[in-house]
Amino acid sequence: MATITQLENGIVLITLAGELDNHEANQIRTEVSTAIFTGKTRAIIWDLYKLGFMDSAGIGLILGRMRDLAPVNGETLILNPSPTMEKIFQFSGLSAVIRKCTVEEAIDEIGGVVHEK
Amino acid sequence: MKNELTLSFLAIEENEALARMAMTCFITPLDPTLEEISEFKTIVSEAVTNAIIHGYECDGKSLVTIHATIEDRLIKMTVKDEGMGIFDVEQAMEPMFTTKPQMERSGMGFTIMESFADCIRVDSTLGAGTIVTFEKNFSPVTEVSRMR
Ligand SMILES: Nc1ncnc2c1ncn2[C@@H]1O[C@H](COP(=O)(O)OP(=O)(O)OP(=O)(O)O)[C@@H](O)[C@H]1O
Ligand SMILES: [Mg+2]
Repeated sequence: MATITQLENGIVLITLAGELDNHEANQIRTEVSTAIFTGKTRAIIWDLYKLGFMDSAGIGLILGRMRDLAPVNGETLILNPSPTMEKIFQFSGLSAVIRKCTVEEAIDEIGGVVHEK
Repeated sequence: MKNELTLSFLAIEENEALARMAMTCFITPLDPTLEEISEFKTIVSEAVTNAIIHGYECDGKSLVTIHATIEDRLIKMTVKDEGMGIFDVEQAMEPMFTTKPQMERSGMGFTIMESFADCIRVDSTLGAGTIVTFEKNFSPVTEVSRMR
């Protein structure tokens, strides 16, 4: 399951829950893509703290959205993966965008404004 | 401990979760660590997904078969399809190689399986199908986890 929140300054927060496999990725791909193309998205924060499982389908989904953002030099941050997910991100060359921090801290890093939570 | 299992299911995406769940139950008596469980689940998921989406192209009528044995703390598992087979196994196992980029596959499945299993073998015949064989040894149960 994906909970999508449009934050200020073109930041989209995607909180994933449950198990992200091929089946689930196909279920949520359209919803996630649509959210990114509405408004001027310049950064995506994926928060995985509620995600119980992820395989290569998650890599495909995230890399796909990074490609969507490439034309606007958009930023991607991945928060709070499990140790196993972190290894999978490492194999896929995504270590550099992993953070263990709160959403607020991630917004700060991207350079957005946080109003009330 | 000694155990053996054979599980066959239709090539539909919904069965990816079923296979993970069944195989997680199968290894539970070994009292694996959380990380061992999630790495093993990932192996199952990658192999089963490949059989469904590449081997059978989600035809919804062919069967994927998992066979697994536990001997002491060693699990051996095969994931088999009788689908289209792999053109060039060596190339297929390279990181980032995929024949389905349009479906947002990342080509990382085999790399992940290789990293999380102790060993992996791929036998494939074009037009006849693919068998992927894994071995994974689970770490000895520690005093701490035994006291749980
Ligand atoms: N059971 C199979 N039957 C036929 N072809 C397969 C099978 N398993 C893998 N392949 C081939 O090997 C390629 C690489 O597989 P791998 O799992 O590494 O990547 P992928 O499935 O394409 O992408 P990802 O797993 O990252 O979503 C596939 O693109 C496919 O062409
Ligand atoms: Mg795969």
